[in-house]
Formats: sequence, structure tokens, C-alpha cells
Amino acid sequence: MVKQKTFEWSLERGDLLPLLMMLPTLLVILFVMVFPLVYGLLLSFFTIGFGGSLSPDSFVGLDNYLQFFTDPVAMKATLNTVLFSFGAIAGDFVLGTFVSLGLLKLRRSASVLIRPIVTMPLLVSPVVVGLIWRYIYDPKGILYYFLGKIGLGISNFPGVTAASTSLLSTIIAHWWQVTPFVIIVLTAGLLSIPEEYYEASKIDGAGPFRTFFQITLPQLLNVYVVIMLVSGVDTIKIFDLIFALTGGGPNNSSISLSIYAYSQAFEQSNLSYSIAISILTMLLTFCIFGIPFIKHNLSKGNR
Amino acid sequence: MKHTRCSVKRNLLMIALLVLLVLFLLWTIIPIYIVVSNSFRKTIEMKVMPPKLIFEPIFSHYQKLLFFDRFAIYFRNSAIISISTTTFTILLGSMAAYGLKLCKSSIGRRISNVLLLGKMVPSITILIPLFMLMNRMHLTGTYLAPILTLSCLSLPFVTWLMTGFIADIPNELIESAGLEGCSRIGIFSRIIIPLLKPAIASAIILVMQSSWNELLFSLQLTNLKTYPLTVGIARYVGAVSVDWGKCSAAATITMVPIIIIGFFMQKYLVSGMTAGAVKG
Repeated sequence: MVKQKTFEWSLERGDLLPLLMMLPTLLVILFVMVFPLVYGLLLSFFTIGFGGSLSPDSFVGLDNYLQFFTDPVAMKATLNTVLFSFGAIAGDFVLGTFVSLGLLKLRRSASVLIRPIVTMPLLVSPVVVGLIWRYIYDPKGILYYFLGKIGLGISNFPGVTAASTSLLSTIIAHWWQVTPFVIIVLTAGLLSIPEEYYEASKIDGAGPFRTFFQITLPQLLNVYVVIMLVSGVDTIKIFDLIFALTGGGPNNSSISLSIYAYSQAFEQSNLSYSIAISILTMLLTFCIFGIPFIKHNLSKGNR
Repeated sequence: MKHTRCSVKRNLLMIALLVLLVLFLLWTIIPIYIVVSNSFRKTIEMKVMPPKLIFEPIFSHYQKLLFFDRFAIYFRNSAIISISTTTFTILLGSMAAYGLKLCKSSIGRRISNVLLLGKMVPSITILIPLFMLMNRMHLTGTYLAPILTLSCLSLPFVTWLMTGFIADIPNELIESAGLEGCSRIGIFSRIIIPLLKPAIASAIILVMQSSWNELLFSLQLTNLKTYPLTVGIARYVGAVSVDWGKCSAAATITMVPIIIIGFFMQKYLVSGMTAGAVKG
């Protein structure tokens, strides 16, 4: 309501400048995102191949969506995507919290020196990360050399070669890449906690653990929520890393929704089904992270 | 007595944290080191465990990559696509942010928040219809296809980032320039843009990073003439047996330039990421 009023107000005065400034961005978003979304939604109710056109004969209603819920691979992909998201975020948070607490204990000059190393994985393409870890997980590779040193072998942790550990292997590679993001943001959050809080808890005789749980954690709660929303969305979309590391295998054990939709479209040519999968992926993202995201932003706006 | 026990505990905790820190740095650096060093190793030497720290570097993997596997062209394509995307995004994003500012209410901020919802849309969801659309318009295989698409992925965040920075500019500054007869376009180019420099720097490194590294859209929207590096690598990965020499060299060529740029733009990389998360 308010939105329209403001625009009317500026348009009434013949003031097109705000709109003109926004127009290019809106056009790009309209062309690349909004229009394909609507078109995709439409296509998902038909059966259609590449280059085919819509005709009443190919209308199948909700069949593509119903197929999803009876397709064991689709169910596996959904479960994997949620597990991946959960495992990736949990690991990033735990590791990231410890490391940023450690960084805080260092002198400022030392942590500035370390920062370029910490940020490095963030700059590497996920497809390269997948490749790097594929090499590390190679049965004759460096990981098993070191595991051999402590008496473990491929039978203890089969890595990407077995269905039981392939998803975990992709999650570990994801930890390698995304924990630095958590560290950077948490470090900024930690530095913004007023020093007096810590002094007060010291006077109260609180140990390091109590200080952490009673002061640090509650103060950082908001930062954690934002990190979870930002990186959580990316984990549901996961494609490149798994594509390069396991390709979804062995035997679909590490397949994600994006990987499955991609292979349905470009390997099996089940275009409409693939679009239905990807739309359900979007709904899943929205249910898990979109609703909290909107709530979070609304509460921000009201403040 | 109680006091000393407490400080011993504190020291132990501190040592534990430092050990963790060192392990973390090793865990971060070793994978990158392995790949970069392997790209200079003979293929047979890569299988030697533990890897030798000192070895005679060879360049044959790079020669194969650049002269037989078209990686020089992929490199050029990646550069064209990511530099154009970055320029385009920042231009459009800052214009849109100024447009939102001109709406003269909190509505601007709210629209930029709505734009952020674009991040919720998985790439795969728009890829297939977009591919069909671009195919029909004969855009697949042009540079324009990935540039437009990658710009669209970054625009919500960049617009949002710029909106935040513009909101911090004191209104008096803008009004006084207006009183002195500066047009609103003049205010944008002479006052806003110079003040946006830190935001622009953050946007440069973040957009550059994401467009240089993007794979999914590039896989389908480009062809042999316009493949970026990531697609070049993805084509190796699909093979049954991976040639680790060539792969390591390809990975190195892809990651080293962006790591170097990121190194020099550290400050802005970090501030861009924390702005995205802490300001929320």
C-alpha cells in the first residue's frame, strides 16, 4: 500500500528519475529471473522436450510433481540435500566459533597476518574445491597416507568410494571452503561485543566457559542467525562441489536436488520433470530459510 | 589457591585454542599447496607418498593445457565475462540504489530487502527455462548470455549493499549540493559515487569472485568459443580417468589469479562479507 503511494507521489509530479534509475536493474531481474520462473512454472504442468512448444495435448497437470513424491531417487536427493545443509552449517558453526575465539586471543597484528590465509578458500571456485578434494580422497592419495600412519585405512573411512561416507566427504570439503566465511563474520561480531561485559563477568568470577555461554553466545545470536540464512541458502542449492567431487555417486548416495534436476534435464531430457524438481527445490529453500529470512528482515524494518 | 587453578585452566584453554588455530591454518593451506605443487610435478612423482617437498619443477602440464586444450582461450573468456559482469553490476546496482534513495522514504530500503529474496531462487530453477529462452533468442554461446545472467545473480546483493551505504550519507550534504544548483544526476556522479568508493571496492571483489568461479549457468549458456575456465575444468572432471597433471594445472590457473586479486583487496572482501552478514 505504502509502496504505491510513494511512487504515485513521485509520478504525479512527472518525476520519472527514480524509476529510470531503477529500470535497468529491474529489467535484468525481470528477464533473467522473473520471466524464466513464470515460464518454468508453466512448463512444469506439461510434458515437453527441448525445442518443443506448448500444446494442449502435452498438458499433464500435476503429474510431474506427483512423480517426484513416488521417485525414490528424488526422495534420496531431498534427504541428502537437507542432510548436507544441516551437516555443513553445523560443522561450519562449531569449527568457525573455535577458530574465531582463538584468533581473538592473538594480537591484532598477528590476526591481520593470518587473514589472507584464512580467506583463501573463499576465493576458490567450488568446482576446483571439488577437484582438490577428489585428489585428496584418492585411495592412493595423501589422506590415506596420513591415515595409514595412525593405523587407519580405507576400510575405516572409505571416503568417496562408498555410499556410506560419500555425502560426509562432500560435507567435509564444504567445511574446508565455507568455515572461513563464518570465521570472518564471527570475528567482526566478537569485536563488536563491548569489553565491559567481559570485565563484569570476570569480576563475577565466571570462568571462560560460563563467560562464553552467558555473554558471547547470546550477544552473537543475531550474527549466527544471519550466517545461517546466508550460507544455508547456498547449501540447499549445492551443485558445483558435488558435481566435481562425486558427481552424485556412488549409486546416487551423494546426489543433491540440483544435481538430480540437472541430470534429468541435460542427460535424460526429462525437461518438465527436471523443472518440477527444481521448483520443489526452491520451495524447500523457501520453507527452511525464506520464511525466517523474511521474519528477520521485517523485525529489522520495525526497529 | 582457587585463583591459580583458574589461571592454569585459562592457560590450558589458550594453548588448546592456539594449537587448534595452527591445525586450522595447515588444514586450509595444505590442499591448495598440494594442487599448486602437483601442477609442476611429473605425473609419476604425484603418486610418491609422502610428497617430496623439493623437486624439479616441470611446465609440460601447462604447455599441454594452454596450447592443446584451449585454456588460453578459456582464460580470456573468464576474464571477459567476469570483468564485464562486475562493471555492469556495479553501474546498474549503484544507479538503482540512488533511484531507491530518491523515493524519499523507508520504502527504498524495503524494496532492496525484497530484491534480496532473489537469493532464495536456486540457480537450477531458472537455468532450464532461461536456457530455452536464450536458445530461442540465439543468445547461447554469446558473451552476453553469461554476463546478463551472472549480473542478475549479483544485482540484488550489490543494490542492497549500495542502498545501505547511500542511506549513511548525511541528507544535508545532498540538500546543500541541490541548493547550489547541482542537478540530481550531478549529485549522483559528483557526490554519491565518490562516497561509494568503499562499497564499490567490496562489490568489485565479491562480484568478480562469484562470476569468475560460477559453473552451473556457464555449463549450458556458453559454447566451445565462450567456455570459461570453470567449464574447462568440469569437462576434465567428467572423464573416467582424471589426468591429475592437467587437472592440477587447470585448477591452479583458475584459482591463483582470483586469490591474488583477493589478497590485494582483503580489506574490502572482509568488509563486504561482514556488511552482508552483520548489518543483516
